Amino acid sequence: MPQPSAIPTRRFGRHDVQISALGFGGHHLGDAPDESTAVRMVHDAIDGGITFFDNCWEYHRGKTEDWMGKGLKGRRDRVFLMTKVCTHGRDKDLALRMLDESLHRLQTDHLDLWQIHGVAFDNDPELFIRKGGAAEALDQAKKDGRARFVGFTGHKHPDIHLKMLATGYPFDSVQMPLNAFDGSFRSFEQKVLPELNRRGIAALGMKPLSGHGDAIKAGVISAEESLRYAMSLPVTTTITGIDKPEILQQNLRVAQNFKAMTAEEMKALRDRVCTEAADGRFELYKLSLKFDNPEARLAHQFPLDMKSVEVQEMVMATDNTGHPFPKPNK
Amino acid sequence: MKPNRREFIESATLAIAAGSTLMAQENGSGSIPKRPLGRTGLQVSAIGVGGYHLGSAKDLSEARAIVDAAIDAGINFFDNAWDYHDGGSEEWLGAALKGKRDRVVLMTKVCTHGRDKNVAMQMLEESLRRLQTDHLDVWQIHEVIYDNDPDLIFRPNGAAEALVQAKKDGKVRFVGFTGHKDPSIHLKMLSHDFPFDTVQMPLNCLDATFRSFEQQVLPEVNRRGIAALGMKSMGGSGELVSNGVVTAAEALRYAMSLPVAVTISGMESPDVLRQNLETARGFQPMPPAEMQKLRDRCRFAASDGRFELFKTTKKYDGDVGRKQHGFPDASELPA
Repeated sequence: MPQPSAIPTRRFGRHDVQISALGFGGHHLGDAPDESTAVRMVHDAIDGGITFFDNCWEYHRGKTEDWMGKGLKGRRDRVFLMTKVCTHGRDKDLALRMLDESLHRLQTDHLDLWQIHGVAFDNDPELFIRKGGAAEALDQAKKDGRARFVGFTGHKHPDIHLKMLATGYPFDSVQMPLNAFDGSFRSFEQKVLPELNRRGIAALGMKPLSGHGDAIKAGVISAEESLRYAMSLPVTTTITGIDKPEILQQNLRVAQNFKAMTAEEMKALRDRVCTEAADGRFELYKLSLKFDNPEARLAHQFPLDMKSVEVQEMVMATDNTGHPFPKPNK
Repeated sequence: MKPNRREFIESATLAIAAGSTLMAQENGSGSIPKRPLGRTGLQVSAIGVGGYHLGSAKDLSEARAIVDAAIDAGINFFDNAWDYHDGGSEEWLGAALKGKRDRVVLMTKVCTHGRDKNVAMQMLEESLRRLQTDHLDVWQIHEVIYDNDPDLIFRPNGAAEALVQAKKDGKVRFVGFTGHKDPSIHLKMLSHDFPFDTVQMPLNCLDATFRSFEQQVLPEVNRRGIAALGMKSMGGSGELVSNGVVTAAEALRYAMSLPVAVTISGMESPDVLRQNLETARGFQPMPPAEMQKLRDRCRFAASDGRFELFKTTKKYDGDVGRKQHGFPDASELPA
């Protein structure tokens, strides 16, 4: 596993596995200017001490898994590789087909972690645990040795996460948005994180810059403060989007020099942004469809928004290697 | 507005008959029942004309035709809002009500979205001028849909103070609020124990089992004697009907069978009005067993909010409120 590095590592929940406190977000890798830049970024990230790599079956319709697979060639055993499955309520067989595709693209025979993606709709927990649902695919993949650990992720509402936990499924990890705004608004930090810590489930933070960094552009908070806040929470890793080499270097610097904020510093930051946090203006993933990927919307029969950047990128502007779902009409 | 003798008898009969089948008339014939508007002493028709869709009518003369036909059919509740069609809905309704103002219960809404009392009072003046009247029967705070709206409304010098002032000035008789997002926000509003006369909310056969105003807010509003105003009986833009979940008549009948004063329904053409009148004339509430059956039938379609987009997306959140709350406008963030 990992080379000695300057980025701190942390224990993955109840398992005797260490991963880097900063994780490489897969979605943004697909925004890199080209494949060779993406491959170089993966190499540089590993050399910089990042061992946790995130991805998802539907990101850029398979492009990010393809690129990450190429970047990890010959380095697979130095990282902890996660990808996600996009059933969004659909059944076990579909999940296992997606797993085959993900493994193929990532050029590996197993994942370290396989998570249910985008648990964002109120009925997703019921659909997940139903007979023939995706929960059975997680069991199967573990049994087959194709996934060491399993978990789920979602960005919508703490209550939906708690409903997933209430299904009683033995998750190894749970991913959620964690940032200074979330700290006081429909808060995963308050409602979900303590429960995970109590159960020994690895907590994976995401959206440390609250999505697309709108709050940073608005001058409410700095990128470094945001990332430091998220990494100072009791999580195993903080997954952040990295779309260009400069961003990688910037994030490596923060992570390599990471010093946890004190409880007082964290509270001061939450208090400073609590007015902007109070209506969710900088956490659009909780309040709008903007961050609900096309696959989720299709499965739940929600309208696709052709103006949304995500939809354009993922459905229109990239090659769809992710059958079996038809492209929606343009 | 004083009820005449006939209306009084009808409403008294309805009060007795609600939930039972005492009335002999069938849906589609007879008159539209009237119900008490909470503890205000007013009687309102069980169906009301939604102001947004009135502004979507072809032109003023069609809007006028809708209003005339509605009043002739016995509808006396008219809804509106300061921001509908940039004031166009209020202007058309004002023109259409000319000479008939005293025959209706007129409601409009104020769009402060967290701004202060003075903004509210200015909007009130504009609404009164457009509606060509010196007073409103009901004035409601519009679109209470952001988690911090209750805090902003009840802060010192907030919109709640405008409601008090307007009542004192005799410019409005009764006050309330409305919102389409989440029962918890409505309950936060109610927790301030402000003497609201009305509360408006989405009520339909899918809401019954999903983030349910029917379960969480309606009983509380009834307990307090506040008039409940239902809206979005068909999903806001007819989503329940166009996706084949229920028929328009089923959707409207379900909503009107709940313990509400009035169900506000959008009617952008005389045809839609006629359709609604089919259900509203001689209205018979659904028996509880039939309501339960319908809720059960709709349960799956309800369970992720796909047809109640006002709860689960930004689609129904107006630009005036988005701007105040620092959200992208509808063209940038459609849903």
